[in-house]
Amino acid sequence: MNVQVENHEGVLVARVEGRVDSSNSQDFERQLQGAIGDEVKAVVMDLGQLAYISSAGLRVVLLIAKTLGQRNVSISLCALSDPVQSVFEISGFNRIIQIYDTQADALAAAG
Amino acid sequence: MSASLQLRVTNRIEELPAVAEAVEALGAEEGWSQDTTYAVVLGLEEVATNVVRHGGGEPGGSEIEIEVTSSDDEVRVEVRDGGKAFDPFHEAPEPDLDAAVQDREIGGLGVHFVKVLMDETSYSREGGRNHVTMVKRRS
Repeated sequence: MNVQVENHEGVLVARVEGRVDSSNSQDFERQLQGAIGDEVKAVVMDLGQLAYISSAGLRVVLLIAKTLGQRNVSISLCALSDPVQSVFEISGFNRIIQIYDTQADALAAAG
Repeated sequence: MSASLQLRVTNRIEELPAVAEAVEALGAEEGWSQDTTYAVVLGLEEVATNVVRHGGGEPGGSEIEIEVTSSDDEVRVEVRDGGKAFDPFHEAPEPDLDAAVQDREIGGLGVHFVKVLMDETSYSREGGRNHVTMVKRRS
């Protein structure tokens, strides 16, 4: 698992690669929390290179969404593969976090 | 045609990535679809993680036995452990899928995934050990 961060005019894009499971979800949380600074106005998580995520990883996404929600910072996800999209749907997270097909769509909505 | 994989690991989270890797290798050999592979790997991780986190005892102090059997029409996953009695399919909390972000509780999701993604699930307590069975019909 690897998280690459880019700043697009105040919108933080976090690209998550590899696998997020119960063995590395704490590291995933630390990397994301560390990347999200105070000046961020929106967060887009690009999951295009995320091969696998289990409930341990979804728990982190929910925690981040809650923390950002309290600061009125929006969060969205984009570019999910079919199996990853499925677990977000089964969890019901697709009803509480915006999911876009592409990073460009997510950035347009966040900007 | 069928093929199977038997693994014994200790009750430590760090053991689980190697289990996922071995199961994916079996799936590749047996020609599982992407959905089947994801469901089997996820189901196994969720059940084994529950055993490690809630089974009690020292980490590394007990064994989890895993058996995955692949046949033409289904994949059967069995997990046995000597932790305290726990039926994940009836005792784990049900997540509230309709709650708003701030109200959404963390937890209960892993077992929910297993129930939705697997075609059959069962639990029994045999000789002081938990025995979870999950079946995924191949798509």
